[in-house]
Amino acid sequence: MSARIQVDWTRCDGHGLCAALLPDRIGRDEWGFPIVGQPTVGDPNDGDVRHAVAACPALALYLHKTP
Amino acid sequence: MTALAERATTARRLETETWVVGAPRLLAGLDRAARLDLRAHLAVHGPLPAVEIDRLLSYADAVRLAGRGGAGFPLASKLRSLAEGQRHIVVNGSESEPASQKDRVLLRRAPHLMLDGALAVAQATRARRVTVAVHDAAAAASVRAAVAERPDARHVRVRKITAGFVSGEARAVVRALKGGPAKPHGRRTPDTLTGTFVSNVETFAQLAILLRIGPHRFADTGTHAEPGTTLLTVGGAVRRPGVVEIPIGTPLGIVLAAAGAPAYPQAVIVGGYHGAWIAQNSHVRLSRTGLAAAGGAFGAGVVLVLDDTTCALGELARVTGWLAAQSARQCGPCRFGLPALAADVAALVAGQRALTAAFGHVRAVEGRGACAHPDGAARFVTSGLHILQDETERHLVHGGCGRPIAGQLPIETVSTR
Repeated sequence: MSARIQVDWTRCDGHGLCAALLPDRIGRDEWGFPIVGQPTVGDPNDGDVRHAVAACPALALYLHKTP
Repeated sequence: MTALAERATTARRLETETWVVGAPRLLAGLDRAARLDLRAHLAVHGPLPAVEIDRLLSYADAVRLAGRGGAGFPLASKLRSLAEGQRHIVVNGSESEPASQKDRVLLRRAPHLMLDGALAVAQATRARRVTVAVHDAAAAASVRAAVAERPDARHVRVRKITAGFVSGEARAVVRALKGGPAKPHGRRTPDTLTGTFVSNVETFAQLAILLRIGPHRFADTGTHAEPGTTLLTVGGAVRRPGVVEIPIGTPLGIVLAAAGAPAYPQAVIVGGYHGAWIAQNSHVRLSRTGLAAAGGAFGAGVVLVLDDTTCALGELARVTGWLAAQSARQCGPCRFGLPALAADVAALVAGQRALTAAFGHVRAVEGRGACAHPDGAARFVTSGLHILQDETERHLVHGGCGRPIAGQLPIETVSTR
């Protein structure tokens, strides 16, 4: 089982916490919105990724699990 | 409003011309009558046979019937994924593409075909609710008059919902019907999982034809992969703009000649404003696979022609500005990226170096939104910039092309009253 990092674009306000917490996976565009460069997560329980999802102030970042 | 007054209102607004390449199916009878009432409809098409779900699915599978709203999703797959329980059939008649007229023509002039299809799906899936969602008053009046004519349509509701480009997206329509804003949802949950079946007006009308003539005759025309006919809306610099029914796979050149397009158009756009500018190639087949092979998209079947009296780059800039204004402003990349892209294209018209910035902003919106709007807009602008390379160069060197922006590409939806 793996998962993909996804953004609910209707919620995201570009706070940038995800990019700060996951600098290897997520960058920011010129307006501050996330650019998910590495969306695939091998382990859905990856601590850093779960932390970033939990930290998103707009509840916009989520993990979409794929069987 | 009385039925008679409604009919008069409908008749006054039948401004769209219709014509046919090959034999008409959806447009049958419309060469003789402005609108087919129930009696005329039955005289032209005959009665609709009763269907159960298995036959409906096997027919739809046999001819690979796909949604005609733009996405082209297979009808049978959508029906199979429909959840059990309280089912709701929604006819999406919002037709928010400003250049598209085909669904309005069907709603105003042949509403019973669409109703046949919707009622057949409702019967086969035991759905008690059927809703026809439209954007304009003339379409609403025509469908209401048609519903009033037939006892089997007592449960059909007609709803006029907010107009707007992204409001025509199926999930936005369903959200509006439930009392929410006419904007797409953030998470992509298919509506079929909640028991709601949404499809485009033409899809239901095609189904009404299919159920009558069966898959064998249905596949008499069209291509092997995409049997049957399709509706197009042809506009821009042509002598005969209007809605045309063609066998799927008809070469673009035949449609352009029949529409009275100039022999050497400056540019041709297929698929509307989420579609693509395609290199002048009259051999391109008007089908999903044909357009995909030409690097375009069939979309909802809009064909637009530019002649050489207008500044094509300026036309592109106008539509890009319009696309930016159509953002629902829900998603940041679309809300900020599309206006930035529009400014880049406007700068190109003014002879500035902005191509790199434009392609950067295309990448900034692609795949980064809740609906298909940013992706569609990106495809439209990217293909336009590729086709208009020489034009861009001319604007850069001379500060312009010397031609006015004639406004050959419509950017206001025709009659949304």
